[in-house]
Amino acid sequence: MVNADLLKGLAEDEAERVLALGKRVVLTTGAELFHLGDQADCIYLVARGRIRLTLPMQVRSRDEDVMVEERSSGQTVGWSALIPPYRFTLTATAPLETEVIALPREALNQYFAAHPETGYAVSLNLSSVIGQRLQLFQAMWLREVQRMVELRCA
Amino acid sequence: MEMLLMGAVLSMFGLAVTCLAFGAAARGEKRPEPAEGVKAAVPATRFFVSPPATQPRVPIEALLLQIENHVRLEQAAAECFLESPNAALLHSRTISPLVN
Repeated sequence: MVNADLLKGLAEDEAERVLALGKRVVLTTGAELFHLGDQADCIYLVARGRIRLTLPMQVRSRDEDVMVEERSSGQTVGWSALIPPYRFTLTATAPLETEVIALPREALNQYFAAHPETGYAVSLNLSSVIGQRLQLFQAMWLREVQRMVELRCA
Repeated sequence: MEMLLMGAVLSMFGLAVTCLAFGAAARGEKRPEPAEGVKAAVPATRFFVSPPATQPRVPIEALLLQIENHVRLEQAAAECFLESPNAALLHSRTISPLVN
């Protein structure tokens, strides 16, 4: 787990100290890690298994959770815990038995205040995770708009 | 006097001919009523019978799988674009059945 995307660039012992702030949570198949709109107090690193991120969509007048992204081992889930207003904007479930490390915001903030270099490195990694998500969804959104324009002009 | 009567009779005759001609023309403009057999051929709308759908409906489970597959394909396409950003990759065609 010291190679997780959030801990890139940290020395192994430093990464271990950050991981020690969290606790391991095992999710059974189908279990929900967090729900859209919930208070976000922890950020999660996927240790093994997979996490499905979904958003509700109206399909034939029925509310259905539609998968928008999947995260696997070494990837970060739930960065809403570090970004105000600290509310989850997606629902996360485990499609198979999955283990995550839950890192509480309070513990991270205290540790980063005492170890600013670590806080800086983790912040850079977090920016990278958020930036990649933004770029990915920007491209996906533009492709959908392009299709809409083609349909309208057909 | 005779001339006056003759004029009046001719006027009445002209008026009668005009009325007959107008009546015949108005009858000609009337739309013909459809025959009884033609009426029976038009399907009557029934209260409990919905009109046939123009396209067969995909079961909702299949539709959800199509949506998920579409999201995966779109993510893969967006990742390709991010690796090498250019307009051609951004607008590459998808094979997703959801939009084809």
